[in-house]
Amino acid sequence: MPRRASSSVNPFWTLGAVVVILAASIAGGYFLYSFVSDPFRTLEPLDVASYLENSSSMRQNVYKLNCTVDNQLAWSPSAGRLFSVETDPGGDILPVLVPAKLNDVNIQKGQRFFLRIIVGDKGILHVEGLRKV
Amino acid sequence: MKNFTHAVCAGLMLLALRAGAQGPGSLPPSGEGGPPTAPVNNTAAPAAKPSDSFLGKDVPSFDPGTEIFTWDGKNWNVNDNRLFQARFEKYLNAAEETGTDDKNYQQIIAEILDKLAPGNATTENVDEAFRLLPKASNYEIDARLCDALADAVYSAWRSQDASERLAHANDGLDEERKKIEWNAQMEASEHPLDAPPGGKNKDVSAQWAKNEQLKRDAGMAPYVQRLAEVNALLKANELKNEVSAVQMKIEFQALIVQFFLQRRFQHVLMATRFYRAVFTDGDTQLRVSKEAKDLFASSSGMPPTVGTLDAAANEVIRDAREGVEAYTFLLQQNELESATKRLAEAFMTGEYLPELRTLPREKKRKALEFTQKTDQLISAIDVKDYALAADLVDQLKQTAKDFDYSKPKAAIETATTVSDMHIAKAKNAAVSGDRQTLEEELKAATEIWPTNPALKSMTEMIFSQGDVQQKALLDFDQLLSQHNYRQIYDDKLRFIAAAALDPVRRDQLKKVLDNMEIIEGAIIRANEIAKQGDSAGAWESVEVAFAQFPDDNKLNQVRADLTTEAADFVRTLRTAQELEQKDQVGSSLAWYLKAQKIYPRSNYAQEGITRLVKKILPET
Repeated sequence: MPRRASSSVNPFWTLGAVVVILAASIAGGYFLYSFVSDPFRTLEPLDVASYLENSSSMRQNVYKLNCTVDNQLAWSPSAGRLFSVETDPGGDILPVLVPAKLNDVNIQKGQRFFLRIIVGDKGILHVEGLRKV
Repeated sequence: MKNFTHAVCAGLMLLALRAGAQGPGSLPPSGEGGPPTAPVNNTAAPAAKPSDSFLGKDVPSFDPGTEIFTWDGKNWNVNDNRLFQARFEKYLNAAEETGTDDKNYQQIIAEILDKLAPGNATTENVDEAFRLLPKASNYEIDARLCDALADAVYSAWRSQDASERLAHANDGLDEERKKIEWNAQMEASEHPLDAPPGGKNKDVSAQWAKNEQLKRDAGMAPYVQRLAEVNALLKANELKNEVSAVQMKIEFQALIVQFFLQRRFQHVLMATRFYRAVFTDGDTQLRVSKEAKDLFASSSGMPPTVGTLDAAANEVIRDAREGVEAYTFLLQQNELESATKRLAEAFMTGEYLPELRTLPREKKRKALEFTQKTDQLISAIDVKDYALAADLVDQLKQTAKDFDYSKPKAAIETATTVSDMHIAKAKNAAVSGDRQTLEEELKAATEIWPTNPALKSMTEMIFSQGDVQQKALLDFDQLLSQHNYRQIYDDKLRFIAAAALDPVRRDQLKKVLDNMEIIEGAIIRANEIAKQGDSAGAWESVEVAFAQFPDDNKLNQVRADLTTEAADFVRTLRTAQELEQKDQVGSSLAWYLKAQKIYPRSNYAQEGITRLVKKILPET
């Protein structure tokens, strides 16, 4: 009796599709998580180049900044802490002043943060809010 | 005998010079006494006065060992006397007298001497010799001395003729005296003294005798008177004869002495031989003045005679001949110093002798060259030109192997060394700014060796130093006003020397040089850092110095080169500084942080960060 050709899907193709779907799900999930986890996603990112060129024109504007803590430059009990952070992306080093009201947040070198910043007087970047990534 | 000859003939030389020119007291000193060949000290006695006597106060003496001639309280070196040197050089330059006239003249002299020689001096030979004198006198070299000799001989002969006439006259007088004496005797016999006629009357007898005596005396008186006159004439003629003979001897002897003093020794020989032929009484003792007599007696120790002069003349002729032979031999041995001395000695006594007159000029010229150089050496040392003196000593050493250079060389080296020492002290004084010592040392050096080349250069340096120093100070002031410290630094040796005695400029220069040390240090450090590939660090090194000394060209050049090499860092830092100046503290700090990231050891970045952090957080 002649054998009938098999009509089932090739398992390799099936396995590949599953991997793709899984990867897409993971990526989508990650993207979705990232998007959902950034509390300042509604803010405009800081234009670092413009800031470095002329910060006066950006005075009192509020921006969001993704960064990694580089170093603590100074600390004042009343005024807060001054950090140098490396922007992400870009890798530029910017000083940000974390006010004393945020002293309860541990900030260490190498930690990544979402920052809500306002360009203050003399172009000083004041952190108004932050969240660890 | 030789010492006698030296002493007498040295005196003769000076006597001749004195007679020809001036007294020895006025002879020029031959120099202060240069050490080399001239221990010549004309030392006059403090109270020496010109003597009225022919030979002065003292008898001349000559010391052959030191070649010093002493006369009348004064000393001469016979080889270093201006007049002697002049005559000697004239002789050395003169052509040899070997012409026909010279030969003929010497032939005549020889013939005269031969005819008058002991054993040959017959009357005929003496007459022939006498006839040859005028012939010899015709030659220029004779200087008419043979004429003088002929005159003396002729006068002596005339004198002897007069003596003979006096003798004849005396004979006549003697005859007359005898005749008168006879007549007187006859007259006396015609008036005999008889017995008186008066008998025993004593008075009458006495009167008679008295009358008779008067008669006798009256008869004898003419004869007695004439006899006295004749006797007086006889005595007078005898005295006249004796005086005439002595006078002629004296004149003849004076001529011989004159020849001797003139060093005409051939004429001395001729004259002494004529003397013996003319005056045959054997009296040869010299009757000259005491001074002239002492000239010979003090050396020989015996009363001088014509024979003494004859022997001395022969000795001098022999000595001169030996001197010429010695000169010729020493010349062949290239011992010019000894040769010249021997010739000078021979010339001093035997200037007119044929042995010297016939010496070829070619041979004499070598002595002349040596003499001229030694004279020049004496003069050079006399005027303290030791460079020339040293050169002459070298030349003399080469030309005369017996030249005793030890004394001049010692004198030259001593003077030059002492002078150089004074100059060295003067230089030290000049360096230390001790003007008084400088002047004293220069004066001392000048007195010792006025022509010292080092002194000349030192003097020129001192003269030019004022201009150089003044110009250097002007340049310094100008460069300082231009802030051209680099130029001052590059020429610092000139400015250090010039400003050494100027306190204000010295401090200014010190400050400039200190700053330049900082700049140079920065440049050196920058170059070393740049060699390690740290261009930003090198730039920072020069940038620090540049901020302090922005006008230094070399620093600017290095800075410009390093700015190109560390362009990113420099631009970052510049931006940070510009924003800081605009008081954009945030962005400025960001740039400083960026610069520090580029060059973590950057002092500028760190300082900027610290400064701005302080602005942001003043409490820290």
